[in-house]
Amino acid sequence: MDKQRDFVLRTIEERGVKFIRLWFTDVVGTLKSVAVAPAEIEGAFAEGLGFDGSAIEGFTRAYEADMLAFPDPTTFQILPWRGEVDPTARMFCDVMTPDGQPAASDPRHVLKRTLAKAADRGFSFYTHPEVEFYLLDSVDLGPDGQPVPVDTAGFFDNVPGGTAHDFRRRSVRMLEDIGISVEFSHHEAGPGQNEIDLRYADALATADNIMTFRAVIKEVAIEQGVYATFMPKPFTDHPGSGMHTHMSLFEGDSNAFYDPAGHYELSAVGRQFIAGLLRHAPEITAVTNQFVNSYKRLWGGDEAPGYVTWGHNNRAALVRVPLYKPGKGQAARIEYRAVDSAANPYLAYSLLLAAGLRGVEEGYELPPEAETNPWELTEGERRALGYARLPASLEHAVSLMEDSELVAETLGEQVFNYVLLNKREEWAAYRSQVTRFELERNLPTL
Amino acid sequence: MARSRSLTDLARLGFADLGAADRGLARLDRPDSEPWFAEAADPDAALERLLRLVERDAAATDRVLADPDAGVRLVRVLGASEGLAAFYHRHPEQLTSLIEPMEEPPGPESLREELLAAVRGRTGEAARVALRVGYRRQLGRLVAWDLAQPSGQDAVERVAGTLSDLAAAALEASLSLARAEAPFPAEEVAATRLAIIGMGKAGGRELNYLSDVDVIFVAEASAGLAEQRAVEIGTRLAMLAIRGVAELAMEPGLWEVDANLRPEGKDGALVRTLESHLAYYERWAKDWEFQALLKARPLAGDAELGERYVAAIWPMVWQSASRDHFVESVQRMRGRVTDHIPADQVDVQLKLGPGGLRDIEFTVQLLQLVHGLTDEQVRVRGTLPALERLVEQGYIGRVEAGEFAEEYRFLRVLEHRLQLRRLRRTHIMPVDEEGLRVLARASGLAATGEELRDRWQRVKTRVRELHERLFYRPLLSAVAALPDGELALTSEQAIARLAAIGFRDAKGALGHIAALTSGLSRRAQIQRTLLPVLLRWFADGVDPDGGLLAFRRISDQLGDAYWYLRMLRDSTSAAQRLTEVLSGSRFVQALFERIPEAAAWLESGEDLAPRGLPALLEEQESITARYRDDEESAVRALRHLRRREMLRLAIGSMLGLVPIDELGPALSDVVTTTLSGALAISHRPGDGIEFGVIAMGRYGGRELGLGSDADVMLVYRDAGAGDSAQATAERIVRELGRLTEDLQLPFELDTNLRPEGKQGPIVRSVASYRAYYERWAVSWEAQALLRARVVVGDVGVLAEFQELIAEVRYPSAPAEQDIREIRRIKARVEAERLPQGADPKRHLKLGRGSLSDVEWLVQLVQLQHAARIPGLRTTSTLEALGAAEEAGLIAAPDAARLRDAWLFASRARSAMTLWLNRTTDILPAVRRDLEGVARLMGYPRGSASRFEEDYLRITRLARQTFDRLFTGQG
Repeated sequence: MDKQRDFVLRTIEERGVKFIRLWFTDVVGTLKSVAVAPAEIEGAFAEGLGFDGSAIEGFTRAYEADMLAFPDPTTFQILPWRGEVDPTARMFCDVMTPDGQPAASDPRHVLKRTLAKAADRGFSFYTHPEVEFYLLDSVDLGPDGQPVPVDTAGFFDNVPGGTAHDFRRRSVRMLEDIGISVEFSHHEAGPGQNEIDLRYADALATADNIMTFRAVIKEVAIEQGVYATFMPKPFTDHPGSGMHTHMSLFEGDSNAFYDPAGHYELSAVGRQFIAGLLRHAPEITAVTNQFVNSYKRLWGGDEAPGYVTWGHNNRAALVRVPLYKPGKGQAARIEYRAVDSAANPYLAYSLLLAAGLRGVEEGYELPPEAETNPWELTEGERRALGYARLPASLEHAVSLMEDSELVAETLGEQVFNYVLLNKREEWAAYRSQVTRFELERNLPTL
Repeated sequence: MARSRSLTDLARLGFADLGAADRGLARLDRPDSEPWFAEAADPDAALERLLRLVERDAAATDRVLADPDAGVRLVRVLGASEGLAAFYHRHPEQLTSLIEPMEEPPGPESLREELLAAVRGRTGEAARVALRVGYRRQLGRLVAWDLAQPSGQDAVERVAGTLSDLAAAALEASLSLARAEAPFPAEEVAATRLAIIGMGKAGGRELNYLSDVDVIFVAEASAGLAEQRAVEIGTRLAMLAIRGVAELAMEPGLWEVDANLRPEGKDGALVRTLESHLAYYERWAKDWEFQALLKARPLAGDAELGERYVAAIWPMVWQSASRDHFVESVQRMRGRVTDHIPADQVDVQLKLGPGGLRDIEFTVQLLQLVHGLTDEQVRVRGTLPALERLVEQGYIGRVEAGEFAEEYRFLRVLEHRLQLRRLRRTHIMPVDEEGLRVLARASGLAATGEELRDRWQRVKTRVRELHERLFYRPLLSAVAALPDGELALTSEQAIARLAAIGFRDAKGALGHIAALTSGLSRRAQIQRTLLPVLLRWFADGVDPDGGLLAFRRISDQLGDAYWYLRMLRDSTSAAQRLTEVLSGSRFVQALFERIPEAAAWLESGEDLAPRGLPALLEEQESITARYRDDEESAVRALRHLRRREMLRLAIGSMLGLVPIDELGPALSDVVTTTLSGALAISHRPGDGIEFGVIAMGRYGGRELGLGSDADVMLVYRDAGAGDSAQATAERIVRELGRLTEDLQLPFELDTNLRPEGKQGPIVRSVASYRAYYERWAVSWEAQALLRARVVVGDVGVLAEFQELIAEVRYPSAPAEQDIREIRRIKARVEAERLPQGADPKRHLKLGRGSLSDVEWLVQLVQLQHAARIPGLRTTSTLEALGAAEEAGLIAAPDAARLRDAWLFASRARSAMTLWLNRTTDILPAVRRDLEGVARLMGYPRGSASRFEEDYLRITRLARQTFDRLFTGQG
């Protein structure tokens, strides 16, 4: 750590950095930023930077107004998009109370605590998300009241010398400048939909990367005069934006999910971890899919993971055990497909890890594999096969979460309470709307 | 062979197994050697080991034994050290090194030369063996010198210094080997400068016979070598040097070389450049790391580089006392003194634990850090030299310092002799008689094992006291004239010390100390003696400043009261309790100042037990009879009674003498007594009515907390007043309010549980109550009656009321609509009664899963089932809950959750009143307040967050149960 701090201070000097953005994340998953001058950074390392937490979602209680942000030097990066004028850098922060205890409402702390718990059992947790998002013409809706994807304007037309690949090239470059290597792919499924895969890293680094990634994509979009959105389901007729996450546990250097003798080369730990994810999936969904809109994606049919199943080649299962080259034990992993691109990655990963670990600790039995797409079965068949469902709506998800000791324990009392409160408010506000659907359907006939 | 000695002779020499000794000496067959064994710590073992040496190498052994002086030396060494005996057994040729006596312990130069010479021309395993044999040869000679000294205590400092020089020499020799063997081009190795810095005991020149040697490595490039390369080579050299002394070889390693005090500890680079060290300490070092640097000294390797390192680092050490978290670091340091000792070792630990060596070192280092900030003269390394300087510079008294040094030497001699025995690192005193006897003989500190143990116990006690005398007592000298010969600190010096132990307003504290200790009164004299200890105890509390101020006021009021002074002087536990309650509770601070005589209770637990209702009422009756015609005096006396009993209960509950299940009834008794007194004054014979007070709510349930209101209902019946009866009753009610008023310790009489609440008449006749309850058979007022308990007043009216409510409150079959109404009212109360903007999760009374949730649920069960189940007919929430569980109405896990929440919230509420000295139902927001409350709840220091999290979790779980059971759903 201290070497890292030295490095940061040296780099600030050498590169003539003018501002350092101190980043942290509120409970909802919105990135917050405080800019400080280089002269203040040494003090921030030693004593933290005081800020008024009452302006932040989830830190809102008056008595937590005085908070200290301690920058984490291992997260130091020069931000590429302000490179030309005033070099600016960023670091993620840990939020502390004035008497030096971690702030209960800091999502990053929640993940750190959960990772530490896993570490006590000898496990480290690695994740690899595939983040989907849409590029739109602008944040404004079109004349038909729908968002307008860029594709219709020919943004991705493969015209030599055109603007076609500018967005992609620029994003990849910026992400690489900031130390996040990615793979970019263009989805044909939805007009303007893109997917970027972040590389495998420990869950804390991945969560930090996701926050950075979202900021970079938004920034590049602005540069290019378009709008990027991570909204889970912006179009009724096109697929939603998920954040499928590949996960693995390591014990020291060896992949704990790998057993060459196991079915699909999956170890007992791997099977129990999946069982844990499946059993607790409904109660953690309010966090992995935290908006009213998230449930439009989950229940959008097709390959959406609405049913609690697992499978190998089943593209609609909630948990998938992907293929990897035989004998490549280190690559053994499982994929959780419910999380969407708008989740708070710190909290979502905390809960995925906690759910899986619970399965390992209590030795849960893995139910049989689902070999067909559950959407193609009748309700009766699904019931006969014992496929549970993820919650149908945000309200349903919140009521399941409320009874979950696993979620309360993992998030801590304060974040737990805040999420419940915040999500109930969202649901109440949503329900009070009279939607276009109702007007179009009912008004002409009633 | 004829026997020339009697067994008595052998016993006199100190042998234990006389038969074996007799046979052994016969085998040895050197009658002239027999008296030598009197010099051995363990003559039996010495003889046995000597015989083994003879077997191993008779010639070498004979050469030593031929010289009587050398023979005595050998016997002494063998009798004290199994480890050295084994060494001579491995290398009998080394025995001859004992023939020449060591006149004086050699200096560092000659030791270094000796060990360098031992490895010169050798490589690999042979060189390592030669190094270690050379080291142990010198060690054996030093031990022989040590054991020949008339006083171990006088010699201990020189021995420790020589051991440190010997360790330095070993590292030097090992480093020279490393340079010869390092797999790098010779000119690059030559251009790599490497200094080994000694830390801890090695730095302080106070090593034991077997300590870990704490070191730090510094590298530097010269002659055009790249810095990075120098660090790379230096790292290799350092690793090789460590291996040279510690790694497994034919001759065992010497001791562990511990480099973990380096920057970043185990994770940091083993070797750094001087610049890198400095950059680290300038920016990131934690305070405790500075404490470790206090003893840094160049030990081996490049002396010039080492000197530069120390010269650069040294001044930084002394800045640490001005750093922000110094107080916390000091508390952690103190914690380390006593923590981490396995319970079964506390009594046998020489080093850790109260009165151990660590206590002395801690005290001396703390004084050095506090005063070294401004005074360069106290910046020295060793414990004994530091004591000397602290005396010279006037920070501690010469007499105390002398005693401290003496105890330190005593403990060090014991430590040396213990470690010498097996050449192992140990600080555990032997417990068996034989072990103690040998230690007594080896140390020369006592004639028998038992005497040694007694003496050691006395030393431990004195060391504990001396910490107070050295650190705390001089604080007084800054403001008070102490007897001649004691030193005086300046105010600045004293303020620095007070701030270091946690006083926020150190200047103010010094003022209080001045007031407490100045003057010639007996009180001032005694307080001068006691304050040093009291200050330390105050500093253990969350609010030392407030505690000290309250103590000052109490002392001012008690003046020279004989009992008070005697108690403070003679009863350690009473004085400690006094500081604990004063520095932990503002409620107690405020009340104690008014009732200083309460100090007398602290002596024994008996006076802190609740006095019981009969005794309280007797006192009240005596007061009201005595001041029959003097209302003012009666009211004053009753008010005093109440304050005094509240204080008693507050103190009792803080000290754990009054558990929560006794506190509620006791507080209820105090309320009853207060009301009984007020009623005796306001309700006189001839009023024409009978009057009664009914306890309701938590008062009715005898479950009051400190700071709870007293819920009551008031009742009368006509006894001749006729039409004016209601007016008379209302007059009495007004009087009750007036007579019980207390601005210092508010007494709130709450009548809102009466029929129709605030809209209803404040007092009713029994007939009126009857009419009301007949109309509203089950309603939430009837529910309130579940906890009604007649307490004070005229017997007739109370009996009639008792009869009335018995019919109402346990209805045989409450209608479903009534039950539903109760549920609805509960929901409404939740929404309406919570103060504006309050967070329900943090409201201890009306909040989520807190007191009223549990109580309403229990009451609902009572209403539904009490007619059938007698156990439910109680005014106590906990009793009713227990009965409901027993009857299977509430499942055991649910009952446990409800009970946990109710108890936790009740305790937290009382703790909040104790800490804040005001009543609030909202969990504190300010961190320090949370900390204060958490400590009162029995959490360790620094648990504010844990306490908060626990409260939220426990009440959330209770609310889940409540939601399920109260609404009858799920």
